[in-house]
Amino acid sequence: MADTPLLSVEDLRVSFNTPKGVVEAVRGIDFELGQERLGIVGESGSGKSQTGRAILRLISGNGRIEAKKMEFDGIDLLSANERRMRSIRGNRISMIMQDPQYSLNPVMTVGSQIAEAYRVHSKAGRREARDRALDMLETVRIREHEKVYNLYPHEVSGGMGQRIMIAMMLIPEPDLMIADEPTSALDVTVQLQVLALLDDMVRERGMGLILISHDLNLVASFCDRVLVMYGGRIMETLDAKDLHSAQHSYTRGLLECLPQLDGSHGALPVLKRDPAWLEE
Amino acid sequence: MITVENLNVMFGRGRNTVQAVRNASFAVAEGESFGLVGESGSGKSTVLRAIAGLHTHWTGSIKVDGMALTQKRPRAFRKLLQMVFQDPFGSLHPRHTVDFILKEPLAIHRFDTVEPRILKALDEVGLGPEFRFRYPHQLSGGQRQRIAIARALILEPRVVLLDEPTSALDVSVQAEILNLLDRLRREHGLTYIMVSHNLAVVAHLCERIAVMNRGVFVEEMTDEQLRTSTPIHGYTQQLLVASKGYDREAIDGFVEFT
Amino acid sequence: MSDNTTTPPGGAKPGLKSWLLSDSPGSMSHARCQRLYLNWIAFSANPIAMVGFFIIASLVLIAVFAPLLTSGNGIEQYLANRLQPPSAEHWFGTDELGRDVYERIVWGSRITLYIVGLVGVIVAPLGLIIGIIAGYMGGWIDNILMRVTDIFLAFPRLILALAFVAALGPGLENAVFAIAITTWSPFARIARAETLTIRNSEFIMAAQVQGASTMRILLSHIMPLCASSIIVRLTLDMAGIILVAAGLGFLGLGAQPPLPEWGAMISTGRQFLIDQWWVPTIPGIAILVVSMGFNLLGDGLRDVLDPRSGH
Repeated sequence: MADTPLLSVEDLRVSFNTPKGVVEAVRGIDFELGQERLGIVGESGSGKSQTGRAILRLISGNGRIEAKKMEFDGIDLLSANERRMRSIRGNRISMIMQDPQYSLNPVMTVGSQIAEAYRVHSKAGRREARDRALDMLETVRIREHEKVYNLYPHEVSGGMGQRIMIAMMLIPEPDLMIADEPTSALDVTVQLQVLALLDDMVRERGMGLILISHDLNLVASFCDRVLVMYGGRIMETLDAKDLHSAQHSYTRGLLECLPQLDGSHGALPVLKRDPAWLEE
Repeated sequence: MITVENLNVMFGRGRNTVQAVRNASFAVAEGESFGLVGESGSGKSTVLRAIAGLHTHWTGSIKVDGMALTQKRPRAFRKLLQMVFQDPFGSLHPRHTVDFILKEPLAIHRFDTVEPRILKALDEVGLGPEFRFRYPHQLSGGQRQRIAIARALILEPRVVLLDEPTSALDVSVQAEILNLLDRLRREHGLTYIMVSHNLAVVAHLCERIAVMNRGVFVEEMTDEQLRTSTPIHGYTQQLLVASKGYDREAIDGFVEFT
Repeated sequence: MSDNTTTPPGGAKPGLKSWLLSDSPGSMSHARCQRLYLNWIAFSANPIAMVGFFIIASLVLIAVFAPLLTSGNGIEQYLANRLQPPSAEHWFGTDELGRDVYERIVWGSRITLYIVGLVGVIVAPLGLIIGIIAGYMGGWIDNILMRVTDIFLAFPRLILALAFVAALGPGLENAVFAIAITTWSPFARIARAETLTIRNSEFIMAAQVQGASTMRILLSHIMPLCASSIIVRLTLDMAGIILVAAGLGFLGLGAQPPLPEWGAMISTGRQFLIDQWWVPTIPGIAILVVSMGFNLLGDGLRDVLDPRSGH
């Protein structure tokens, strides 16, 4: 794209100090994001979640983020102070996580949490925030939004909980949304419905979306571009439509070891981990 | 080998009773691999647990190897039927070593020749003796699931119930475990009932498949029929479409089935 | 889960250390030693916990080596020597009957340990067993056991202890019994709460499917997981137990004279507080230091043993 990218990351490294030594979760990755849907795919330990958190500088205490460049819309995310980051988080860059049962406050009604998200980043009063929250509930296609407003997180199903998270994260109208395994805890039909909602939101508002997942097929069918991560590094970057002609042996290996609906009963080809992948 | 007729499983008491499974009936032949597919709340895991004896609040008839089962299970039953659970992080006791975990069933049923049995069990699931005295937190997800499988097989059962055995595993590890399960079934002539929400996994491993929704059996078919998309019921069709990935038009057509 | 790259802190060390840190333990005892070692490393990384450990270790050593640390037994009276201030000859001075306060403190440590140890040995297993049975069995068994627990929980500790001692007569053993009776209830609650959480775990289900008897599940599966919380709670409660014992001693209902129990020493010495401060104050400081030691130790243990930290 000709215009400047929304997010630009160069040589990002995330490491943690543990009693057993230094563990490097992300080992030098580069990527850019425009107003598109970018998928980051990897298995556990690949560093994909830490990448998403590093962008928002949400790495826990004993972790360190280093990069040659980490820029969002002209703002340097590496050197921004905590106050600046707080004004960015939830406001210009939002994040949805995996299980709404754990990411929603269990002692507040869902409606009041959405309203709170609005008031944190604007000077709105309670009535206005409540109206906006009700509007958002409608936007995320929750029927009976008045009734749902007053429910507690444990009273809503997983799919509805994720819609509520999306409402909460969209209400301040961010430019970039990071979704970390947003549908992994959901049934497959609900997963797709939530993704369709995300799709509409992204399209209507011209947002950028980073979708982090372990499900290669889902990401490839939903996103525009895909980054495949392994061992803290990016193995391959490709356009989603080119997934089945992927070059890298790790990507190919992952694709081949998936059981297919129209496949045979034979033994699945097992992924041979090439130690060279860790050195690339 | 296994015959289930008019199984009804209830949770809770009195006013709070929920019927998790309604009038389920199916049969599994010896040596067959039977798959049970459904979304959350479909009752698939509940059926498995009722057969294993973990739920006692059920009515209907369950017969395994000709033996009609009641709420209590005789000791001999444990050597006939075993179970592998979903969560490799939760199905091994965090304070027990692998050795203890494998020794326990042998001790309960007073087997002799404990040493060789343990080493053989580890070997069968592809783990060497160096794993023997590790604790679960020193094992990866795939290794833990192998131990869970070794534990299930150490009593030499003829039936193994598999409750989403690969759902919590990485894709590459899933392939290894599915291959392992397949090989073990062939080598030992085991009968499997596998529960999963993942149609592709079930189609791969199972010969016959049943679909459940909200506690009811919707449809039964062979894997061939599933593969060629010849299910009749709308719910199964919808699941099949959803399993293939993101397709916007199809999603807009999704319907709630009650 | 793959570790990408790990740099060990000091490079590999040969011998004992590598045996303790090896990836593949060769036997059950090897595995257990490893766990103890790792727990110890985690524990000793906490300086405050180490202070607590040091204090309690000192208490134990002083009690064990009391005959070596003193020349008398703290009981003989030298009336000519009464109420001497601390000096080179009597490090903590002498009390109203001419006994060396230092010697009485040292010998009193045995009594303190005896009380604390005996109460712990009664209370922890009792609470643990009642709690896990109540939690696992549920139903009317749970109800009955918990109502019994509630009854004991409802009484104010010192008053109930007083009542027991009044009924049974003063004396150290009776004081211990009284304290134990009033202390076990919270442990049952803790054990029950842990059991309720664990009861629905898949490893319990796996054990049931294998035909494990209830006894085996309770002893082998549930008890080890509850033990940590109980140990932590017990250590933290020690301070309170010491204070109740001291209180009973102060009221003359615990250890009887001439036993050098610290609480009794404060009691008999309190009339000398103004002019001969060392007589009641030194035992008071001893009680303070030991209570604090147990608290710090308990905090440190909790950080290491807390199941929530992912063991």
